[in-house]
Amino acid sequence: MSESIFYFLQQVTNGLTIGSTYALIAIGYTMVYGIIGMINFAHGEVYMMGTYVAFIALAGLSMLGIDNPLLLIGLALMVSIMVASAYGFTIERVAYRPLRSSKRLIALISAIGMSIFLQNYIRLAQGSRDIAMPSLIQGGFLMGDPNGSHIMISYMQIIIMISTVICMVGLTLFITRSRMGRACRACSQDIGMTNLLGINSNNVIAVTFVIGAALAAVAGMLLGLYYGVVNPYIGFMAGLKAFTAAVLGGIGSIPGAMLGGLILGVTESLTAGYLTAEYKDVVAFSLLVLILLFMPSGILGKPEVEKI
Amino acid sequence: MKSMVKKTLIGMGVSAALMAAATAQADIKIAMAGPVSGPVAQYGDMQFIGAEMAIEQINKAGGVNGEKLVGIKYDDACDPKQAVAVANKIVNDGIKFVVGHLCSSSTQPASDIYEDEGVVMITAASTNPDITLQGYKMIFRTIGLDSLQGPVAGRYIAEKAKPKRIAVIHDKQQYGEGIATAVKKTVEDAGLKVVMFEGVTAGDKDFSALVAKLKRNDVDFVYYGGYHPELGLILRQSKELGLNAKFMGPEGVGNKDISAIAGEASEGLLVTLPPSFELDPKNQKLVKAFEMKNQDPSGPFVMPAYAAVQVMADSMKASGSTDAEEVAEHMRKTSFTTPIGDVKFDEKGDLTSFNFVVYNWHADGTKSAAK
Amino acid sequence: MQSRFTSALFAALLTLLLGSLLLGVTMVSEGIDLVLELSEPHKIYGLIIGAALVFIIQYFKQEVGAVTTRLRGDGSFEMPAFIRTPKQQRLWGFMAVGALLIFPFVSSRGAVDIATLTLIYVMLGLGLNIVVGLAGLLDLGYVGFYAVGAYSYALLNFYFGLSFWVALPIAGLLAALFGFILGFPVLRLRGDYLAIVTLGFGEIIRILLNNWTDLTGGPNGIARIPKPDLFGLEFNRRASEGGQTFHEFFGIPYSSEYKVIFLYLLAFALVLLTLYVINRLIRMPIGRAWEALREDEIACRALGLNPTVIKLTAFTIGASFAGFAGSFFAARQGFISPESFTFIESAIILAIVVLGGMGSQLGIILAAMAMTILPEMAREFDEYRMLLFGLMMVLMMIWRPQGLLPMKRPHLELKRD
Repeated sequence: MSESIFYFLQQVTNGLTIGSTYALIAIGYTMVYGIIGMINFAHGEVYMMGTYVAFIALAGLSMLGIDNPLLLIGLALMVSIMVASAYGFTIERVAYRPLRSSKRLIALISAIGMSIFLQNYIRLAQGSRDIAMPSLIQGGFLMGDPNGSHIMISYMQIIIMISTVICMVGLTLFITRSRMGRACRACSQDIGMTNLLGINSNNVIAVTFVIGAALAAVAGMLLGLYYGVVNPYIGFMAGLKAFTAAVLGGIGSIPGAMLGGLILGVTESLTAGYLTAEYKDVVAFSLLVLILLFMPSGILGKPEVEKI
Repeated sequence: MKSMVKKTLIGMGVSAALMAAATAQADIKIAMAGPVSGPVAQYGDMQFIGAEMAIEQINKAGGVNGEKLVGIKYDDACDPKQAVAVANKIVNDGIKFVVGHLCSSSTQPASDIYEDEGVVMITAASTNPDITLQGYKMIFRTIGLDSLQGPVAGRYIAEKAKPKRIAVIHDKQQYGEGIATAVKKTVEDAGLKVVMFEGVTAGDKDFSALVAKLKRNDVDFVYYGGYHPELGLILRQSKELGLNAKFMGPEGVGNKDISAIAGEASEGLLVTLPPSFELDPKNQKLVKAFEMKNQDPSGPFVMPAYAAVQVMADSMKASGSTDAEEVAEHMRKTSFTTPIGDVKFDEKGDLTSFNFVVYNWHADGTKSAAK
Repeated sequence: MQSRFTSALFAALLTLLLGSLLLGVTMVSEGIDLVLELSEPHKIYGLIIGAALVFIIQYFKQEVGAVTTRLRGDGSFEMPAFIRTPKQQRLWGFMAVGALLIFPFVSSRGAVDIATLTLIYVMLGLGLNIVVGLAGLLDLGYVGFYAVGAYSYALLNFYFGLSFWVALPIAGLLAALFGFILGFPVLRLRGDYLAIVTLGFGEIIRILLNNWTDLTGGPNGIARIPKPDLFGLEFNRRASEGGQTFHEFFGIPYSSEYKVIFLYLLAFALVLLTLYVINRLIRMPIGRAWEALREDEIACRALGLNPTVIKLTAFTIGASFAGFAGSFFAARQGFISPESFTFIESAIILAIVVLGGMGSQLGIILAAMAMTILPEMAREFDEYRMLLFGLMMVLMMIWRPQGLLPMKRPHLELKRD
């Protein structure tokens, strides 16, 4: 009896870890959607580039002789966030801003094009093979009887969950307390009106992209350290999952993205743990369909009011 | 005609283009079909460098019947749809000899076309048994089959490792699932029990749920059918989550990258591999030649690709003809001495013998024969 | 002037900064450690050239802007003078059909094969156009129906020995049925929710095909799918049991070209049929309803149209064309496996529809040609192919968001003198 409870808890922990990172990436989708109503398909690639930059920074810094893991990770994280934010900013500027007034579908195609472009840019720049990074942080906590039933949580899993919580709290404070955060909320309510009130909505949108990219870079760094590998193709699936999480939670809603990410992660983990790993994506997408059938705007999304 | 020559010239790889530019159009063209782009391009490279080296060396030794060989690269990106287009293009360009393709799912539809058009194809990398099961006359391969590799691994497990609870995991791809099924069958025939047989998604990164499941099932031996990126991650996450089991995989995991991914966790991994041709004393001159060009001869498909070109060239010489059907007939009858040993084809076009050896993998990316 | 220079400089420096980390250094595994190496010179040159380009474009922003505005046009498109009246259009149409019929007999085998592939994409583009272009429903999982069509023929042939001609309508029907079943619950969703759910369905179908090994052969796919025959005449070198081959029947020597040409003509016939059916549909009340729904759903409801039924018909009919295209694809390919039906395929089909100018059929045909033939011609660029493809999609959307040939309703205009 207790053995199966431990097993269940172990799977939930695994699910929460992966779910946290989905949530971090999902924020980028949901904020952009909330403000300009477009699916930023290239967001998954920003996450992928964040991981690459983090790896490059880690390798470069350790070649410079820094070997304190915490310092190493901290510095690499800063580099990764800065570069990924710059990419987020540039992508918006180059591929989306000229299309602001066009139909949504146009921007979507541009985003898909951008995603293909970035993926191949990285492939050409860094090669298509997996690049591996030795683990910097090893070991973990063991709860229960080491020889019998127990839960094993690695330090990396704990770091991922704690970092996610810190990011989420920071983001919530930013959105609710800061001037820019208020401007973001105003833009998502009514972008035209916000402009009339003297707020430059272009800046707000740029900030949104930068924040989304920065969080994706955090996710990229964390997952990069956790898995230890990166290749140019990881962005697509991660982006797809994160987007699913954003829709699940109600796209446009930040708490929704967090909730959606966690639900998705736990669902996948439990499916792999109790059914079979082959079908975890099927179950994840089916869950999405089911939830949308009964809650057409996602779990925490506001029902759309049709205006004439 | 001239414009066609020009067009093919552009399409070639740099080295091939240089060689072709020096010669006239009476050359014997050999198409090298495989992924230049796409996620498995690195395996394509192995095949290309092997074939290019063979072409270069044969030309240096005077060519075939006085004519030079010219290699032309065709990119199928390991996409079955593009593979068919490439095959049609090769036929269209009047080429009668093909080394390729790489991925079994590309080789399969392309081989239908080659057989129909009387083009000799030797794959140096596709290991799916189905390819040579169609009764084709023009299709050969210079690499072992999944169905050969599985039993070798299975017998090793049953006779040497003797684990109590075995799990067989695969990546739901043609290659991985094929081998995994063969291993499961051999192991079960030997009276051992497979407690888990499950697929994972290729390209996935998170296997913590799977590892927890393996732990729960008290598995002490895991066979993984698939490639190194996934197994590397499974090893790494197993270590982190405290799973103590012996792991084993096919030649698709026997790549230095697995040690980079899994680090310490790759120590003691068992791998079935073709014998390391690059360590064979007879091949040292060839290995030097690769190293001179700054190429790595240790990839599993490099030497088979070299052998494929050599077999074609030798048959052309021996039969004194460049007629594809005559060459194919000759290939079926004779045996050849190549860097992968003595090559002889059976009825189906497969090698009559291709050995797989079980190796112990080490954390620094080296390997040693397993006892 | 000053600000122009500084902003250009800023953009160029940003490019250098962004590129230098990813392009300037390459990661190399050394043993189990990861080290950095300076990249090959061509990457560094590329980086410098890129930065210089950015500087120039930023510096001459206004001039560049003027050119792109002209490219964009005023959003409408006028046919050249010689194909303006319906009569001229019909004439040109017949000439185009004639030229395409002669084409396979005068060109090379490789070209005919690529043309066949293009025709498959034309069919897919036209089918998706019903859903996206006409009814305005964003479907990101269209490839799922394509897969259903392909597997229908392959499985029906494998298990029951049905021929292509019998399987073709069944494949269309099955795909339509899938469209109906999937469409029923999800069509209540709006806009982007619909997009992600259809995307999910596309993935689910692919994963099921991959995992249901007993039925579909899983990742091994299905091999030896026969090519279509012409009234019982096969195009093989040797006839199968009880069959007769084309070249024996006509007493001509065997040539594999016949098969390629026949496949092309068959695809061409299917495209013509698709065009005909869709043209009829657009002019029927249901076609009008699709477009009305795209423009304003609320107004539609107010006029007593049932949006769910209308959407469902668009979804179902669109899916059935994907089914036809799929079963033809299986026949051309001779071997299918789930990896031919990934999301990127959906994205390409969608790009064809948008690039062509949503709703415009001629535009879609042109776009399908561009999307399949350009990458083929760009084979010389080998590894840069997909990079350019992505870049082209972005630039097209920026420069000509209305597509190559935007849709135009037939309308009468008063002559102004």
